[in-house]
Amino acid sequence: MDRTAESDVAEWQSPMVDVSGMSLEELASHHGDSALARCLRRLSAELDDPAEPIAGFNSAL
Amino acid sequence: MRTFRLSDAAFAALAAGRPTAETIAELRKAQMSRHLLLLGEIVRLTKDKTPVRYAGTESLADPMTALHTSATLGALRAGARPPEPGAPSPHHLSATADGLTLSVRLEDTDPLRARLGLTPSGQLSGAEVDTWRRLLAEAWRLLVTRHRPAAATIAAVLRVIVPIEPDPGSAGLSATSAEAFGAVALSTPADATALAVGLLHETQHSLLNATRTLFDLVLPGAPRTYSPWRDDPRPPFGLLHGAYAYLAVTRFWRAEAAASGHALAQFEFARWRSAVAESADALDGCLTPAGARFVEALREEVGGWLTDRVDPRVERLARGANVEHRVRWRLRNLAVDTEALVAAWPDGRPPEARLRAGAGRALERSERLELVHRLLRDGAESGRRRPGDDAWLRGDLDAARHAYLQGLENNATKPGTPPGPREADLWAGLAIAGPWQSVRERPELVRAAHLALPGQDLGKIADWLDFSS
Repeated sequence: MDRTAESDVAEWQSPMVDVSGMSLEELASHHGDSALARCLRRLSAELDDPAEPIAGFNSAL
Repeated sequence: MRTFRLSDAAFAALAAGRPTAETIAELRKAQMSRHLLLLGEIVRLTKDKTPVRYAGTESLADPMTALHTSATLGALRAGARPPEPGAPSPHHLSATADGLTLSVRLEDTDPLRARLGLTPSGQLSGAEVDTWRRLLAEAWRLLVTRHRPAAATIAAVLRVIVPIEPDPGSAGLSATSAEAFGAVALSTPADATALAVGLLHETQHSLLNATRTLFDLVLPGAPRTYSPWRDDPRPPFGLLHGAYAYLAVTRFWRAEAAASGHALAQFEFARWRSAVAESADALDGCLTPAGARFVEALREEVGGWLTDRVDPRVERLARGANVEHRVRWRLRNLAVDTEALVAAWPDGRPPEARLRAGAGRALERSERLELVHRLLRDGAESGRRRPGDDAWLRGDLDAARHAYLQGLENNATKPGTPPGPREADLWAGLAIAGPWQSVRERPELVRAAHLALPGQDLGKIADWLDFSS
């Protein structure tokens, strides 16, 4: 991910690809896409090393 | 296919706890994308069997379905049996105030709800559901009336509340999981204010988890460290979570203090603004470029509140509460090489304290803090009566110091062992009322030397250990 400059506007670019509007079948048709493969590797790493749930006291009295 | 992007202005506003509706929509799309990609993996691993809880694009946004998908994929990859799908709870709560609506599912049946990190309640009775409904309506009115931007964020993020069992020793517990964007686990809140703060606090955790899906924020491998919100050592991302959640909590109490001028609201505001600012500073060196920008914006936001005027008496008590927490944390979690410490006395450089092995999750309460709460809430001193605490509350630091010192003399313990609750309480008292920086900053060393060098003056030991790190 990078902070990029486009038209004088600094941007933060994620490696995550937007597939939120796709169906499972549509996603399957993109099998082999390198950007998707990168995303999956990133998510797999997250699954392999999950952050512990964040738990604590309610911050109220 | 497009990759997700956030303008620097949107990213900074998100970090400052003021995300725009467009930013939240992007985070939600990113979570739905994450969910769909994991489902795709399940399809690949199970050779084209459609995942049981997948019911089209709509279901991608449900946090408990996302939780089930993560659990299923984790099980498949481990060669274990995937979890059975659970039916969603029928309890739907909705609250509307001034044109803004919050709709959530009160989830008390899904077998996977324990994965949010704390023990879930059993199925709720009708009366219990009614209690949640009433508290939610009151909390929502408070949020929309006095904290509307935060309320809009909660309405856009929150989908599920999982009731959990209370901890017998605590006022309330809450939790969030990165696998369930928009779900929060909460014990039954004491009142509407507690629920309002709990909701905005946990919503921040969900936002930060979703941000983490898009951007790495913390460098790998940094050691666990002090966090003002937990009694156990936390990884840097945990510290960032605390700072981000309490940024919203601080803003809440700032507005409450401005509206009511109440001492307790001022206390919470004063306490947490310092804790958030110090935590942001402590993250320096642990962050990726995106993380550094995020924390910079967070720090800038809370930095603008540090000069807000707070009643000096309340400010003193708030400062004391933060010092006390840090002292207790150090006494609990840091071990000292006593032999090397004694060898260094009285002119050498003492050894660094090290994290004790195996310090697990811990949540403890301070009786002194409860006294402060009662004093500020009710205006009366009640509960435990100890001379040191009485003197501390009324601002007589000499008398407080004297009393805590005397208490330590009567509570001698063995060197090399962690202090018990009473001794830790006395050291914390000495830290807030005494003149020694070293007792505030490295109490574990002062205590270890005090115990290992019988007959030596505590003031001399404290002076020896009063060095810049």
